[in-house]
Amino acid sequence: MTSHWCDFQNTDVILNCGSNSVENHPVSALWLEKAHEQGAKWIVVDPRYTRTAEQADIWCPIRSGTDIAFYGGMYNYIIEHLIEPNLAKYQETGDMSEYNFEYLLNYTNASYILDPDYKFDPETGLFSGWNEKTKTYNAHSWHYETESTEDWDTSENGAYAWVKKPGTPEFTTPTLTNPKKDMTLQDPMCVYQQFKKHYSRYTLDTVCGICGIDKDVLELVYKTYTSTAKPGKAGTVLYALGQTQHTYGAQNTRAMSVMQLLLGNIGIPGGGVNALRGEPNVQGATDMGMMVNEHPAYLKWANTTDRASLRKWLESQTYSDGYYTNKPKFIVSSLKEWFGENATVDNDYGYDWWPKVPSETGAVDYTHISTFELMQQGVIKGYFNWGMNPCHSAPNAGNVRRSMANLDWLVVADQVITESASFWNAPDMNPSEIDTTVYYLPCALIYEKPGIILNSGRWIQYRYQAVEPWDQAKPDYEMCDLLWTAICDLYKKEGGANPDPILKTKWDYYVDGKIDPRPVAWALNGYRVAGTECNTDSANPKTDLLKGYAELGADGSTACAMWIYSGMWNNNDAPLDPAEQPLCRRNTEDKSGIGLNSEWAFSWPSNRRILYNRNSCDMQGKPWNEDKKLMEWNGEKWILVDQADFVAVKGDKPVPPNNKTFFMLWEQNARLESYGMVDGPLPEHFEPFESPCDENPLNGAFHNPCAFGTQYASTKQGTKEQYPIVATTYSVTEHWRTGGQTRLCPALVESMPAQFVEMSEEFAAEKGIKNGDEVRVFNNRGSVVVPALVTKRMQPMNVNGKVQHQVGLTHHFGWADLYGTGDVVNDLTPNVGDPNSFTPEYKAFLVDIEKA
Amino acid sequence: MTEKAIYFDSSKCTACKGCQVACKTWNNLPSPLGTNETKWSGTHQNPADLNGDTRLIITFNELEGDSKIKPVKWAFGRRACQHCTDAPCASVCPGGALVRNEETGFVEVYQDKCVGCQYCHSVCPFDVPRYESNGLLDKTVIDKCTGCADRVAHGMAPACVSACQPNALQFGDRDEMIAKGKEKVAWLHENGYPDACLYGEREMGGLHVIQVLKYGIDAHDQVQDPQAPATAQLTQIIKPVTGAISGLTVAGLAVMFGLAIGYKRDKLAYNPETEDTVSVITGDVVQHGDPQDDKTVMEHITENLPIGKKGDK
Repeated sequence: MTSHWCDFQNTDVILNCGSNSVENHPVSALWLEKAHEQGAKWIVVDPRYTRTAEQADIWCPIRSGTDIAFYGGMYNYIIEHLIEPNLAKYQETGDMSEYNFEYLLNYTNASYILDPDYKFDPETGLFSGWNEKTKTYNAHSWHYETESTEDWDTSENGAYAWVKKPGTPEFTTPTLTNPKKDMTLQDPMCVYQQFKKHYSRYTLDTVCGICGIDKDVLELVYKTYTSTAKPGKAGTVLYALGQTQHTYGAQNTRAMSVMQLLLGNIGIPGGGVNALRGEPNVQGATDMGMMVNEHPAYLKWANTTDRASLRKWLESQTYSDGYYTNKPKFIVSSLKEWFGENATVDNDYGYDWWPKVPSETGAVDYTHISTFELMQQGVIKGYFNWGMNPCHSAPNAGNVRRSMANLDWLVVADQVITESASFWNAPDMNPSEIDTTVYYLPCALIYEKPGIILNSGRWIQYRYQAVEPWDQAKPDYEMCDLLWTAICDLYKKEGGANPDPILKTKWDYYVDGKIDPRPVAWALNGYRVAGTECNTDSANPKTDLLKGYAELGADGSTACAMWIYSGMWNNNDAPLDPAEQPLCRRNTEDKSGIGLNSEWAFSWPSNRRILYNRNSCDMQGKPWNEDKKLMEWNGEKWILVDQADFVAVKGDKPVPPNNKTFFMLWEQNARLESYGMVDGPLPEHFEPFESPCDENPLNGAFHNPCAFGTQYASTKQGTKEQYPIVATTYSVTEHWRTGGQTRLCPALVESMPAQFVEMSEEFAAEKGIKNGDEVRVFNNRGSVVVPALVTKRMQPMNVNGKVQHQVGLTHHFGWADLYGTGDVVNDLTPNVGDPNSFTPEYKAFLVDIEKA
Repeated sequence: MTEKAIYFDSSKCTACKGCQVACKTWNNLPSPLGTNETKWSGTHQNPADLNGDTRLIITFNELEGDSKIKPVKWAFGRRACQHCTDAPCASVCPGGALVRNEETGFVEVYQDKCVGCQYCHSVCPFDVPRYESNGLLDKTVIDKCTGCADRVAHGMAPACVSACQPNALQFGDRDEMIAKGKEKVAWLHENGYPDACLYGEREMGGLHVIQVLKYGIDAHDQVQDPQAPATAQLTQIIKPVTGAISGLTVAGLAVMFGLAIGYKRDKLAYNPETEDTVSVITGDVVQHGDPQDDKTVMEHITENLPIGKKGDK
């Protein structure tokens, strides 16, 4: 979330799109209903009438997988109704009564001039830079034209003097290329004009046809949501897996960001792009970089091409301007934590001990979906399955089970015997034919261990242990410690291949000789290395914790595993007492008056509650909304309510307001058009991997040309002739994910004893299905039997002139567990995904249905 | 302590059932333990009704909407004891198992005093009291919401209220809850819900569950103009006459219920083939013999009530 839970109360219009938030993130309801009672309008865009839709004012049903068409139509609506009719007047008189031009012109890249080779061809659906052979883009032509260049001043008194400090690894500093701009927005190659041209195709009729939305409803949704374009008004967009789980899921997310930028809704109270994350949790996993190519704290992992050495990393990753000019400090401090005293400037701080992700074109791919292909091929022979249940949760789960049968060994660390731990025992598997040795490691529940937890709003808190782990169960970090120590002992005793990455790694997270999360908190927060003798004995703990990431150095003087968490644990007076650290703050007095609650817990980065908050004020530093103030320039200095997410002070001198409001980007303005995505600079509508349509009315490409995993034979793509029904999957509030925990709670099983397939009354009548009938839902990948839930809450849609039926399946059950069992619904979902994030397409695919 | 009430705002309820599960866990009410023993009801409402181990359920009612932007009305309701001021269950209860707490207004349950006569069920206009049963007569005892008397006595809110995320459930002084409800109903009237109403202010002498019903009484499966059956009112006369010998009260009542021809909540049935009286609710054999035979009932009661314990308060 760019915002936080309590901030929903400050909004004027709520848009739930791809999120059934009151059901799947129940606490959201408290804050959304607060806003609603104060007069906010509430829109829910969802294929079915959910428990969230019941709370809302407007339900806008949509065909699964057509969100970009929906957003594109909204952009076109904004341009036609708000920007074009008022732009000339604004430029003459400064009138912003209908639309916040100041935000668009100064805080986004609308005025930037694009490379002359930039192009989009609706005939082919391709942007400039396409390579037909590799099926990838070269993003060169998506960049800006350069007005002037500036080099870093690394002289003794220069802004970048730290580059020359002894101990800092050598690298060629970047050159800032100031983009060419046209503040009148008339240059045909400026972002605004290209954007306008691109989305002029997204007319109301075209969008209604693609999405299956009634025109009156769509217009009302656009009118209601774009009312937040006025300065001082706020709209919030809430999304979850309904947006991300598509072959263009990352573009869906970008599409929401672009919408919020066009409406001036980012960085203001009650605004933002708000990904709702849950209990285990995704926010923490993303922060921690739990992906093949991601390093913790949103840095990139070492690879075999542009990050093949520390120097290459620094040269490809360091931004020419903005806050990410500091990336060398973040990566060197991370290496110092990783390899401790073994990391020196002479050995590039141990960078080459890190494994490198293969990144040449055509290299072996170790992302989630491909992992199971590699098992099929016999490349991956052993598998640690830790805190996940892919035999249930991965797309094409039947394929996953069959792949796992090729493993020599499998280790499953989980709280219960999951479908993955018992994959060999699935109803469609024959145990006598499977030679995989399965090791099950029972792990402690969250209440059985102390540790740090993060919520969706980026608040970090400490959780004390409530009870001892059950039987042999251990916290995950204790299991890691046992494994790690045993591996190191074996290396020491017997030697082995490539020992340095193992034996040079620093591993000292013990208190009184026992593994403990508190020294890990020191590592996450960061501390000064030079002259510090760390001592983790509880009798005499000692370290030199950093106040925050501003104190990090690129010269090896500091160690910090995750720069973004710096400041959460910085009290040197009681370094082992969580209660004395910022993350444990419990002051309920809200000085902001708008629910920032800045003295409750710690919000990364730097206890900032609303990201990009400089955008809440105009170019003079005056808040767009006087009643909801995050900061204000008083003529001499900034009066801050939230922590500044911009340069408010340089040295001791206050910095007067300027247009650098997005300082996490080198251009420091937000991108309506972006060269950062692998599959295009502007979100463009494509059909899902399995689509019920004959054509894509918007372009000639039909599918996302870059969609991930489509080459795998195991995907067994179905056609609309074979499988004419659109299906999607989702959760109910009574169960959690694959049900490992919730299906072990009798009261929860009793409150929702089965999964089901929801369908409209019209479709059920057509198929002769009655409510409660057992039906078979099937496609080329699998077949599941579930009861039918026939409901008014699903409706047939009119898609491009034809009646289209859509069904939805809940997906919490499987063969494992004691109280509630059922078929694995993910046997149906396709193992294809997004090319940026590799997230699978669970939310739109094709099936057929018959009475079982 | 002033009179208390549980406040339920159906327009804020997200039907997450947190209250339903909290009720079970706080009150140690078991759920079925067999694999797939609980059958799915066919809707989101699970279990479909209250039972001897379930004191509270959230109900789901799908109705035709009246506009393109709200083509459906999905009315969520809260089904549990409403804690009447004129609580007929407490009036008819012969053993003192159901007792109205004069301070809070909640009707509390003393299961050890329940004789299993099930008359409370017959007189309840909301069809609430259920029986926990393992099929044996002596194990069939009343179960219903107690208002979490244990928690309330310690200054806490009932378990259901404490679990509610969106504050659809609240707890406090009854007059404050009524004021809150009136304000919310007015807001709903102004915001596109003309049928919204307050429920519980005057029904049954005043309920101690005050509800804001977004789509009106019927939509949320509540009872229009609830009344206690005439038979329940007669107990006001009979009870003092029979005094402490509850068995006689029960016997007297049995006659009355037998005569209350056509009363819809007559849930005992006589099977002439087996000569058993069977509970229609639980399917259990309540007694051998005809329930309309007052002599048999008298024997049944006196056999199963240890003299001396019954009626002690």
